[in-house]
Amino acid sequence: MIKWLDKLIPRSAIVVLVLLTAGAMVGFAVVGHLVTRYNANQRARGRKLYAQGVADLNSGNADRALEDFRAALTSDPNNSQYQLTLGRALRDTGRLDEAQSYLESLWQRAPESGTINLALARVAARRGSLVDALRYYHNAIYGIWPSDADVNRRNAQIELIEFLLQKSALAQARSELLALAASLPHDSGLELRTAELMVQAQDYDDALAEYERVLRSDRGNAAALAGAGETAYRAGRYRTAQRYLQSAVNANPHDSNLRDLLASTNEVLQTNPFAHRISDAERNRRLAAAFEGAGQRLISCAQQRGIDLGTVNPPGSSLSPPASPASPLAALESRWLATKPDIRRLRYAGENDLPDVIMDLVFSIEQQTAQDCGEPQGANRALLLIARNRDTADQ
Amino acid sequence: MKDLATTPHPASPSPQEPVRLPAPRRLFEAFGDVFDEDSFFLILSVFIGIFSGLAVVCFRIAIDWTHLWLLGPLPPVHSWKILAVPSIAGLVVAILVVQVFPAIRGSGVNQTKAALYIFNGYIPFRTAIGKFICCALAIGSGQSLGPEDPSLQIGASLASALGRQLKLSREKLRLIAPVGAAAGLAAAFNAPIAAVLFVIEEVIGRWSAGILGSVVLAAVASVVVERWFLGSEPIFRIPVTAFKQPSELIAYLVLGLVGGVASVIFARAIGFLRPRLKAMPRSTQYLQPAIAGLLIGLIGYFGFPEVMGAGYNYMDQAMHGQYVWQLLAILALLKIVATTISFVSGTPGGMFAPAMFVGATLGGAVGSIEHHFFPHLVGSTGTYALVGIGVLFAGFLRAPMTSVFMVLEVSGNYEIIVPVIVANTFAYLVSRSLEPIPIFDLLTRQDGLVLPSLEEEREETILRVEDAMAPAPPIILSAADYIDAAERRIEESTQTVFPVRLQPSGWGAITREEIQRRFKEGKGEHTVGSLISGQPLPSLFPDLPLDSALRFVQSCQIVPVVNRANPQKLEGIISSQSVFEKYARHGGTEVDESDES
Repeated sequence: MIKWLDKLIPRSAIVVLVLLTAGAMVGFAVVGHLVTRYNANQRARGRKLYAQGVADLNSGNADRALEDFRAALTSDPNNSQYQLTLGRALRDTGRLDEAQSYLESLWQRAPESGTINLALARVAARRGSLVDALRYYHNAIYGIWPSDADVNRRNAQIELIEFLLQKSALAQARSELLALAASLPHDSGLELRTAELMVQAQDYDDALAEYERVLRSDRGNAAALAGAGETAYRAGRYRTAQRYLQSAVNANPHDSNLRDLLASTNEVLQTNPFAHRISDAERNRRLAAAFEGAGQRLISCAQQRGIDLGTVNPPGSSLSPPASPASPLAALESRWLATKPDIRRLRYAGENDLPDVIMDLVFSIEQQTAQDCGEPQGANRALLLIARNRDTADQ
Repeated sequence: MKDLATTPHPASPSPQEPVRLPAPRRLFEAFGDVFDEDSFFLILSVFIGIFSGLAVVCFRIAIDWTHLWLLGPLPPVHSWKILAVPSIAGLVVAILVVQVFPAIRGSGVNQTKAALYIFNGYIPFRTAIGKFICCALAIGSGQSLGPEDPSLQIGASLASALGRQLKLSREKLRLIAPVGAAAGLAAAFNAPIAAVLFVIEEVIGRWSAGILGSVVLAAVASVVVERWFLGSEPIFRIPVTAFKQPSELIAYLVLGLVGGVASVIFARAIGFLRPRLKAMPRSTQYLQPAIAGLLIGLIGYFGFPEVMGAGYNYMDQAMHGQYVWQLLAILALLKIVATTISFVSGTPGGMFAPAMFVGATLGGAVGSIEHHFFPHLVGSTGTYALVGIGVLFAGFLRAPMTSVFMVLEVSGNYEIIVPVIVANTFAYLVSRSLEPIPIFDLLTRQDGLVLPSLEEEREETILRVEDAMAPAPPIILSAADYIDAAERRIEESTQTVFPVRLQPSGWGAITREEIQRRFKEGKGEHTVGSLISGQPLPSLFPDLPLDSALRFVQSCQIVPVVNRANPQKLEGIISSQSVFEKYARHGGTEVDESDES
């Protein structure tokens, strides 16, 4: 087959080696040209398939789109755009293993890319992997974005906070929120969103501060007023809540939720015996009312639970069995009965610790009955809220 | 410098002829002391690697182009095209194989082995061209075959042609085909270590520094070329792998057992059908690849186009959890069927990629089932699929070492080495116990060739010196002993030959007759050492192969077997009689008494 070569190749060692080298160089040139043409052809085919895939994806045909993207990648295996799109499409269709594999191979090439890290973070979030999600979200937040870097970083951070809230990682969410709040531009929409997230993270003080920041520049912002009122209410700062909620209701009188919150706030403020700037007579009246209300709540809760408190119910009542001495409701009832005679002594000066004793009992009753019989309404709800926010209720 | 001109070669002119010297001789003379033939062979290996790498790059592009041209980028399921293309391409391939390239039928591994052991390294260059064209057409049109075996043979054929052209010595010519084979396989797999191991394990069958250096250089050069043009990405994306609980090895053991059984089914199907189809009239050879193409097209038409072609894309998806276990199991089965049909029809192409496909899908299926019943298992389905690739390599191709290193090299993940070893070992053992003849040996025998079975060689018990050694005799003389004292010592003994410990080291031997004769001659005051003339006896160690004793036992009555730590300590003695008796008992060889005498 190649005997003719025998005649051509001169019998010299150096020439043989030179010929081999020259042959290799020619081979490189020819194959290089071939590969270049092949790659160009493949890239063109890849672009066509990719466009087809995007169209399929937009028309809701995800499976067909995946096939197109895969074929596009077969044609142009190193195209990051195709890989990223395929990775995202796989993730969105729940094929997380494959999505991760594509995205990780991209990540190895560009570990600093915000886009790729965000895509990987979303895969990790869908897997529920807190550690990986945190890592990739942070990489995305501090990574490089081709355009709108600030916006993309902020969006990634908000997405991370939402994920942390979903995973009930409140402490980590609060840390991220503080970082986010510190870098926010002056934009009421963003500030309101941040405040909402802070409320979800139970960071009421910072949330309130964020709402107030909005209100400083836009005093009549209804959303900020409502948010601030609701946040103050949740934080147990009922005077503040009353102020904001009143303004919010004035701005939006048809919002029943706001009206309920305002009513509840007013009830707390009118029921709270520890409120400042009230007379002793008013305080005693509130104490007595609270005591009486707690007693009624105790009885109704016991009845609801089918517990015979004995002393409260008439003999021969159908309620059975009698409450055991160990029952918390029975124990509270005993305490309530034992304290009842002391109510009359409230008018006398010098009984400085009696209001605390009474309200401790009231709070115990409200908390126990809330636990056993559900959240109360009206004055009892107010007492329960005061019990939960005793220190801040009058703020 | 070694005189390479002394190496006999059939093509070398006699010294008397006033003709110019052949290329190598002039070559080496021109370079003087720079390098000898061994060194030149190493340099040549690099060029073989480069040319093989270039050829394999072209081959891969040719397959892709053919596939895109004939079938398009997306599988045309439920289309006439998927039936027509493999059938018509099969017919064209059959015509080419029967009329133009008859030598390209069969396994490239076996043809390279045949070149090494039978044809003095000769593989026609036409084989490379035929393999290139026919395999590109067959695989590109959807026949269930892989490009690795043809790549191996293209490399071997190129190397053989180059070696012949340069008129290398016969020894080097024999070895050059495996060197090219390693280069071709390394470029095809993008895995130089696995390729080197495979060629050493399956083709050459022995490790030696000279050949290993050439094979490694060629493999590395070809992989560099392949990566230069096609990039360094592995042939499929590697899944997230995990192995944390040792108890999970039981799951991999099960995978090994299942893989071993699947390997046997695969090998037996080929072994059963191939000779029958080959025995059919010559005219049917034109139709067999076409019918195979039609059957495979039918499999694709009815919704399983994954089994068509090499299937790397689908292996990739199997490793990333894209298929449920039922589909994975069906794909494994259909791939065995499709590959068997393609291969036994005489369509040229390899079985590496199909074996990997079957392994990946089977591994994925077994992993998914195990996950279903034992949800605590940590390894992903992809991990099982990856391990499964090695399992079929070990069980079907019977390359246990290569199977382990290939998975590690392809995955770049040493975390799964233990599962891979466990699964592959069990697959190999199961396959070997159920089907004693490896697939490559089976194909060789069906082709009427008798090539050394490297698996049998591996398993062969090696006889050692200690197996034929007689215990140290009770009387051992010292060179300083006086003859009269020695004569008194041997008086009661029945020994005829006595080992003599020489001073300061070494061993000799003296016969009873010699001592007694000298004693009678009145030389009792002489030392035994004075009677021993010439070189000391050669000595052996107990652990040496018994073959090494053959060089000495014919010329020495006894050969001392000494301790490696203390050569002055005699462990035993060995004689020609004991050696031949041992060989006779071990191999059933009759001892020719006349030869012994």
